[in-house]
Amino acid sequence: MSVNLSAAQLLENRQVHRAVLDNGLVVLAVENSAADIVSARIFVRAGGRYEPPEQAGLSHLLTSVLTKGTGNLSSLEIAERVESVGAGLGADAAADYCLLSLKTVSADFAEMLELAAQLLRSPSLPEAEVELERRLTLQGIRSMQEQPFSIAQKQLRQAMYQQHPYALPSLGTEETVAQISREDLQQYHQTYFRPDNFVVSIAGRIAPEDAIALVDQIFGDWQVPTTPEGKIPLPALALPGITSHPKQVISTQDTQQAIVMLGYLAAAVHSPEYVALKLLNTYLGNGLSSRLFVELREKRGLAYEVSAFYPTRLDASQFVVYMGTAPDNAAIALDGLRQEVERLCTTLLTSEELQSAKNKLLGQYALGKQTNAQIAQTFGWYEILGLGVEFDQQFQIEAANVAAETLQAVARQHFAEPYVSLVGPAIAIDQVATPAAS
Amino acid sequence: MAHFLEHMVFKGTDRLLPGQFDQVIEDRGGMTNAATSHDYAHYFINTTAPHLEETLPCLADLLLNAAIPEDEFVRERDVVLEEIRQANDDPDWLAFQALIESVYQSHPYGRPVLGDEAGLMQRSPEEMRCFHRAHYQPENMTVVVVGNVAEAQALDLVNQAFSQFPSRPNCPVAIAHAEPPITEIRRQELYLPRLEQARLMMAWIGPGVDQLRDAYGLDLLSVLLAGSRSSRLVRELREERQLVQAIASDFSLQRDSSLFTISAWLAPEDVDRVEALIGDRLSELTTTAISEAELIRYKRLLCNDYAFSTETAIQLAGLYGYYNTIAQAEIAVNYPNQIQTLQAEELQQLASQYLSPYHYAATILKPL
Repeated sequence: MSVNLSAAQLLENRQVHRAVLDNGLVVLAVENSAADIVSARIFVRAGGRYEPPEQAGLSHLLTSVLTKGTGNLSSLEIAERVESVGAGLGADAAADYCLLSLKTVSADFAEMLELAAQLLRSPSLPEAEVELERRLTLQGIRSMQEQPFSIAQKQLRQAMYQQHPYALPSLGTEETVAQISREDLQQYHQTYFRPDNFVVSIAGRIAPEDAIALVDQIFGDWQVPTTPEGKIPLPALALPGITSHPKQVISTQDTQQAIVMLGYLAAAVHSPEYVALKLLNTYLGNGLSSRLFVELREKRGLAYEVSAFYPTRLDASQFVVYMGTAPDNAAIALDGLRQEVERLCTTLLTSEELQSAKNKLLGQYALGKQTNAQIAQTFGWYEILGLGVEFDQQFQIEAANVAAETLQAVARQHFAEPYVSLVGPAIAIDQVATPAAS
Repeated sequence: MAHFLEHMVFKGTDRLLPGQFDQVIEDRGGMTNAATSHDYAHYFINTTAPHLEETLPCLADLLLNAAIPEDEFVRERDVVLEEIRQANDDPDWLAFQALIESVYQSHPYGRPVLGDEAGLMQRSPEEMRCFHRAHYQPENMTVVVVGNVAEAQALDLVNQAFSQFPSRPNCPVAIAHAEPPITEIRRQELYLPRLEQARLMMAWIGPGVDQLRDAYGLDLLSVLLAGSRSSRLVRELREERQLVQAIASDFSLQRDSSLFTISAWLAPEDVDRVEALIGDRLSELTTTAISEAELIRYKRLLCNDYAFSTETAIQLAGLYGYYNTIAQAEIAVNYPNQIQTLQAEELQQLASQYLSPYHYAATILKPL
């Protein structure tokens, strides 16, 4: 077998087996016999980050059409094949990668992985399906305008990321999606969908050596594109830098609630501050005992939903706190959120608070790795981001060892002036859009 | 009242301060939350097995001895009002509420679980305490423990923690009757601002849990109609005729009478045509038997979905608790076997009985 096996990684009492095929494709396999199920997550190093700005939405459109035709199967035939064995198969695009997810009863896994490989390797991208998915995407973009939270997030992202592709929603914009051609999709597919840009991560009732052999059998003959001079290299990305110029972005509309959202540019996943920011985010916004929930919801009744998020990103991420509140309370909400974030710069977490945030982060991390799909997702994701499967352990050890002083230093480094995004009726906007309110 | 109470339960007891319970669970790396539907309120803890002993008695204390303090009641009411405002900004939620109100004209299933502002302002802490003590009694409660815990130990723990129930007050108890069948087409159109596309939501009244076999049949009809890409309506209306952005069907099993819905997101000018086409496809179900291939495909889909949704302890606990609350836990395990025995003639008959193209409720949202 033409496969290089490397060090196995321990996950509780299970091992993560990692192999690299001759063509560069990485396979991860975890055996978990708890249920008669196998899940696969197939990652491609493509996605929003790799799109030219004028083609925003390219990855999303490609993954939508990917499952809708190959040289010898029509869209309907593909759907029937998947559904006749009761499997789940779907493709999607994220900011840092494209993903195909597969879930089957163990006995059907080989057949479905074979089908998934056909879709990924040689999609026919039928013109009619491109047009159908384009129309549906355009409608999807318009529909996002119905949700105040989506509007707040979209305008915040745009303000923070400027020229960087993270500025745009994964669906793209009406302008960009309207002009993406089938040739653009083909070109993008040819460029990024190649074995040395793939990670196939498998978890479930299948022996790791069988999983690896199966992937080799199905993907092993796939060649990296070459010219007479040798392998074609993957394109080098030249992404614009992101600098912080905090400002307010506002959409006035007659909703019952105002959405108040604050964003700070935050560290990328490879940065040393990543784990500290995850802990700060947990402390502030995760769960019923989190600081924002207790201070702003429990004690002051300002919101039903008040929370924080800090996505894991290859480039600069964003640290966001937000709530939906009655329009009359918009200014109080903004002050309250801002004070809680800035408090992290001035007040050290007590040892109890720190321990509790760590327990919460690590406890939920463990709870998020239970199903086969979650296990396959976690390790495949670490691999595609270039962190390696060891990151699973490393993250937990690092998180357990962060000191309160480090959290404060990281907070000071990140939480100076926020970007502010507001959506709501004039009565809410008027309170906060004037300099007097800040 | 039931939903507001679910919020207030977290506000502590004589022994647990407001918020203290959340800390007990989350400090140990666990998760907790709750949800309220028409048939039940559901509270959960998700934690590692060794922490069960410390955490379960706290949950029991909350559920049995909720203090419902006056000042917390007033403050938490604001939170519930925010929850209602948030829901009111969601067009799909508004459409669904209008739909169930039209379907259930006498049964409480027609009322929004969240309630409304006027109603909430009339409730008092005393009324809520009464409601709590009347309903949070052993015959109404199911405790499910799933995970790496010995049966005897789990039983001991539950027996100890759930031993002292509050005394029963003399409270008015609402009695709900099954909703009479819909005997016409009840259509309503609502016009909303900021709407980017129209909605067509159609609903039929299904059986109660006493006719479980019928319910399983309707579950299968629901995925056959719009549960996957090759299902009939998705294929025809989304992929071939391209009349809808999305179409979905849902069968929701409720104790007294279930709800079967078909929802489409589409352009306003296509609403009538799509509604007529859905009616035609329902007629076909009553006149033509489902092919063996289709039957096998959707049985397999349902049985696999069942397997996929029973991987973790929290999923299993939710499933067993749900079935035990509206019927008995044991039937949860039988689901795949029951699905496997469904026959084409039986499904044809169920379609005639429940999914009439002439007797249903429809709510349509259009841009203002």
